[in-house]
Amino acid sequence: MSTSGKRGMLGLALVIPSFLILFVVVILPILYAVRESLIDQNSGEFGLGNYIRLFTDPAMRKNITYTLNVTIVSTLLSLLISYSMAVYLRFSTSWMARWINRLYFVPMFVPGVIATYGLITLYGNHGWMVRLLLLLGIDSFPKIIYDYNGLVLANLWFNIPFATMLLSSALAAVPNSVIESARDAGANIWQLFFRFILPLSYKTMWVAITFIFMGIIGSFTAPFLIGANSPQVLGVAMQQVFSNYQETHTSSAMAVFMFLLCSVMGYFYIRTMGKDADV
Amino acid sequence: MNWYFRSLGARRIVEFVLLVVFVIFFLGPLLNLLILAVSGKWQYPAALPQSWSLEWWQFVLSQDDVLESISLSFLIATVVTVCSIIVCIPAAYAFARIAFPLSRWFLFSFLLTHAFPKMGLYVSIAVLFYKFGLMNTFLGIVLIHMVNTLMFMTWIPSSAFRSVHRAQEESARDAGAGPLRVFWKITLPMAFPGIMVASIFTFLSSLDEAQGTLLVGIPDFKTMPIIMYSIIADYPNTTGAVFSVILTLPTVILLVAARRFVSADVLAGGFQVK
Repeated sequence: MSTSGKRGMLGLALVIPSFLILFVVVILPILYAVRESLIDQNSGEFGLGNYIRLFTDPAMRKNITYTLNVTIVSTLLSLLISYSMAVYLRFSTSWMARWINRLYFVPMFVPGVIATYGLITLYGNHGWMVRLLLLLGIDSFPKIIYDYNGLVLANLWFNIPFATMLLSSALAAVPNSVIESARDAGANIWQLFFRFILPLSYKTMWVAITFIFMGIIGSFTAPFLIGANSPQVLGVAMQQVFSNYQETHTSSAMAVFMFLLCSVMGYFYIRTMGKDADV
Repeated sequence: MNWYFRSLGARRIVEFVLLVVFVIFFLGPLLNLLILAVSGKWQYPAALPQSWSLEWWQFVLSQDDVLESISLSFLIATVVTVCSIIVCIPAAYAFARIAFPLSRWFLFSFLLTHAFPKMGLYVSIAVLFYKFGLMNTFLGIVLIHMVNTLMFMTWIPSSAFRSVHRAQEESARDAGAGPLRVFWKITLPMAFPGIMVASIFTFLSSLDEAQGTLLVGIPDFKTMPIIMYSIIADYPNTTGAVFSVILTLPTVILLVAARRFVSADVLAGGFQVK
């Protein structure tokens, strides 16, 4: 066998153990869920019955649009805020920027249940925020917890730090000389952003969008504790269909549907990453 | 020059407002829990507790299942981290340094752990575990925790290995060091920050995992987050806050201890597979 062939074998041998675990705990269960989803919940026959019901049942359709709405709005808002934060952190040298730089990634490491619990006690009915605003003489407060707003808020809390981290690292790679020469040539801040910063960090932006989208669409903990009873996001609806109604086939179809949406994002992600490898 | 100072002042004010919004939004929920945990009486509409007290700490720490859950969680998280390191680091190295068939296909397959909704995945895993007799076993819990850690543990160290300059490895080889020695003395130390960050991620995500544990570990494996769910449901707010602080403590300690290693670049590199 040639040397490169031997190296190749070595590479495969090193990867196989982790891939085997991946196969057992992820790939097999996914295949199983796909098969389950194709067995009609009512008739027990093989077919697309569960999926058809998913898109024709009015309550379920509401859940789907609601989930997409929450996911897309949260993703775009997270991205917008993270970009502003990353740009600010990249170009500001003040002590405040240094503090934000030190603190912003703390939420990434805080357990989800705890953070959600903290958000509920802070923004809830009679929560700390209401009390503090009362001190300032403001006694009207929008409903946040158990509502659409709370869900988006929680998603922002969980995803902005992650996206900011990705984008800051990409912006750190933008050379100062590029920015300075553009400034010297008279570019204003918007031109600077759209002509230089955005194109240079475009790939990272896609990475951020992909992971934020995947994280939000199937999320369970935060919407379970914060969300409204109806309509529900799909993650929570799926759990209820499974444990309250014991409709395994329907809940599998819901999971596979979310998986397909994520796969579209994953496809673009891999394509963006793939382009880089060819260069 | 007057306009300059005025604009500087405005900028400072805007920055300060930003900082305040940032602190309230991201740290407010945590600060609120911290205050709640040491409050005795805190009735609406008082902005701060009427009385301070540690009585709930005594209550929480005197519960047997709470103490057990803490040691169980740490045991599981340690085992998960060690297993993930043993299984994933060789793969990470292979992805970074060795050209082998289908390598990119293998590399991207780890994205699957994040593409399928967790709840659906756990349910399917539970069905499989039931067939294999892995329900309510330690091994089952470790495996289901590894669902969340495989990708971090492979991608982040892989990017760290890739950023080690080949020239350095080659010069060590030229000096007569064998491949294993080069790995131990040159490559591994240089990739250490990435491995460290991935391990912290792994440890914390295992400590934090609730849904999978709940499905697979019932009824014997009550980890900290699972106790937390029942505390939120059954006890007054203060108890939940106390337990939240206990559950967040390892995170804070680990982050402070590993502050040197946790940087945006190391983490971000892991998500941008090359």
